[in-house]
Amino acid sequence: MTRVRVVDNSEIGKAAMLDGKPPKIIHIYSKIKYGVTGDKVLVTVKGEMKKAIIVGCHQEQKAFIPKFDSNNAVLVDENGSPLGTRILAPIPTFLRKKLKEMSRSKGADYTKLLSIATRYV
Amino acid sequence: MKLQLCSYSGYKIHPGHGSTLVRNDGKTFVFLNSKCRRSHLMKRSPREVTWTVLYRRKHRKGQEEESSKKRTRRHQKFQRAIVGASLTDILAKRNMKPEVRKAQREQAIRALKEKNRAAKAAKKPATTAAPKLEKGKSAMQKVAKPMPKPKMAKTGGHGGRR
Repeated sequence: MTRVRVVDNSEIGKAAMLDGKPPKIIHIYSKIKYGVTGDKVLVTVKGEMKKAIIVGCHQEQKAFIPKFDSNNAVLVDENGSPLGTRILAPIPTFLRKKLKEMSRSKGADYTKLLSIATRYV
Repeated sequence: MKLQLCSYSGYKIHPGHGSTLVRNDGKTFVFLNSKCRRSHLMKRSPREVTWTVLYRRKHRKGQEEESSKKRTRRHQKFQRAIVGASLTDILAKRNMKPEVRKAQREQAIRALKEKNRAAKAAKKPATTAAPKLEKGKSAMQKVAKPMPKPKMAKTGGHGGRR
């Protein structure tokens, strides 16, 4: 039930952040209880349900994954393509490996969001 | 893996060490160890913490001090023209030989004496002024001599300095 900070420039995301009602995580697509950097997540934004990928956690993660001051997420559709055109916050380079593992050929390709990232950490 | 510098202490971070923190404004901080990280989170300025590189740089500890002292600038004496005396005039006066100078001085004294004598002769009648003239002459001589001297001495001795 964490409220998450949308870090891309998608319209829904921007509107939600401006309203003061950031997206809320309602389900995590992993076997582990808690979401971690790079996990796909189900999120409610402005009354709709969308998928998102966690791009940075305030919680301490495994080694060599940077720690962020807020929980950041990027809104994504079913196929893994991001809803926005640019990601403004720095993105951990660790995601390159993790998202590639998550992606399935002929299925969802989650590495697309790395191409819209502006800065890497 | 590139060698990073700790953003708090300034030490090198070898691969396999350290942690990163990303602030919400996008600023990234790389820390060598939890000591640096905790100091940063405690909002201690590295410039006030004695063992950091920033402190040492600020207080100029170490070898930098020696190298900077040796390189003191030397002021170059530069002769400039003044209003009333162009550069060539100043140089000519400075480089004048002492004999030449002495001759000039004597000439000036003689000229002044002549002028005074002529002035006195013109003013008073010849007979009454004869004994007085002699006295006057000696007095004028004494006055006349020091007059041109300081003038010449000034330009001669202090020509190089402003």
